Amino acid sequence: MRRSLFLAGAAVLAFPGLALAQQAATPASGWVGPFGVLVAGFAMAFAAGLCALGQGRAIAAAVEAMARQPGAAARIQTAMIIGLALIESLAIYVLVVAMILLFVQPIR
Amino acid sequence: MEAIEHPPIFTLPGIPDHVTYTWLVMIVLTVAAFAASRNVALVPRGVQNFMEVVLEQFLGMIDDVIGHEGRRFLPLIATLGLFILVGNLISLVPGLAGPTANLNTTAACALVVFFAYHVIGIRAQGFGNYLKHFMGPVPALAPLMIPIELISHLARPLSLSLRLFGNMTGGHILLAIIFFLMGLDGLIGWALSGSAPGAIVGGIGALVMIVFTVGFLFPLKILVSFLQAFIFVMLTMLYIAGAIEHAEHHSGHH
Repeated sequence: MRRSLFLAGAAVLAFPGLALAQQAATPASGWVGPFGVLVAGFAMAFAAGLCALGQGRAIAAAVEAMARQPGAAARIQTAMIIGLALIESLAIYVLVVAMILLFVQPIR
Repeated sequence: MEAIEHPPIFTLPGIPDHVTYTWLVMIVLTVAAFAASRNVALVPRGVQNFMEVVLEQFLGMIDDVIGHEGRRFLPLIATLGLFILVGNLISLVPGLAGPTANLNTTAACALVVFFAYHVIGIRAQGFGNYLKHFMGPVPALAPLMIPIELISHLARPLSLSLRLFGNMTGGHILLAIIFFLMGLDGLIGWALSGSAPGAIVGGIGALVMIVFTVGFLFPLKILVSFLQAFIFVMLTMLYIAGAIEHAEHHSGHH
């Protein structure tokens, strides 16, 4: 078990993603490109704002709990960070979509 | 991100940059491991002391999340954590590229985690018992629960890889835009050159951006580097803990 895990870790370090080659970004021609830029900006703005609302609720509840139970602060903090990561990943999805719209531009 | 980011100073022809700098991270980690284990002493000093402290942090997290029987997964978890941490930090050095700012690297790490925790779960409780995880607490709900569980399990490597990649690349794009604004600021100063307003506007703008970058953005990116490595490792441990716990534990409350 330990040796197979070690070999898997060594495989990660040795050959990360040789299979997938990156496609070069090509400039867009037509009217979809400017709309892609607009949509990317607005999508990121909405995602960041709503993500901030959700994370604010989570942090408020966690800080309140930590103030009531200082002994459990470490565990609450760990749970809060995991929850924040899960909330934040939704905004990160929007960021990835915005980057696809900006740099890859599959629809022209 | 070739559109806005400067290529790194050292590139190997025919090999993508993230692979080159993955090898750099490998060299760093191998040298650190060699230096730490060259003269193993009972009372640790120097590099060995440092690496023992780092690994004890990993062991503490494993004990918290998985329990004491999770200590045999330390090689997998600590390797992933140290690789991602050093990969995140190396991308902050000007002139070097970060391996974790590329989707290929993060997807490789996430796929290893995906297959590893399924294999660990099947080995821990057998194939049939492991499949009961996917059926939910009540057998009558199994047709509803199986698609939900399948989708949630398939979304795990997607979210792991995209989270790390998006955080790192987003930070790099932010830095690139700030540096681009520095160039714009220089352009304004050049347009107004020969006059006092040019020097004032350019000087103040450059000062604000340098202070903002060095005082806020770089500490933020160092924090994000540690945080993303921590979260990757923590989620890996949560998945392993969910895979090796018994299915009865789910339905014990009903």
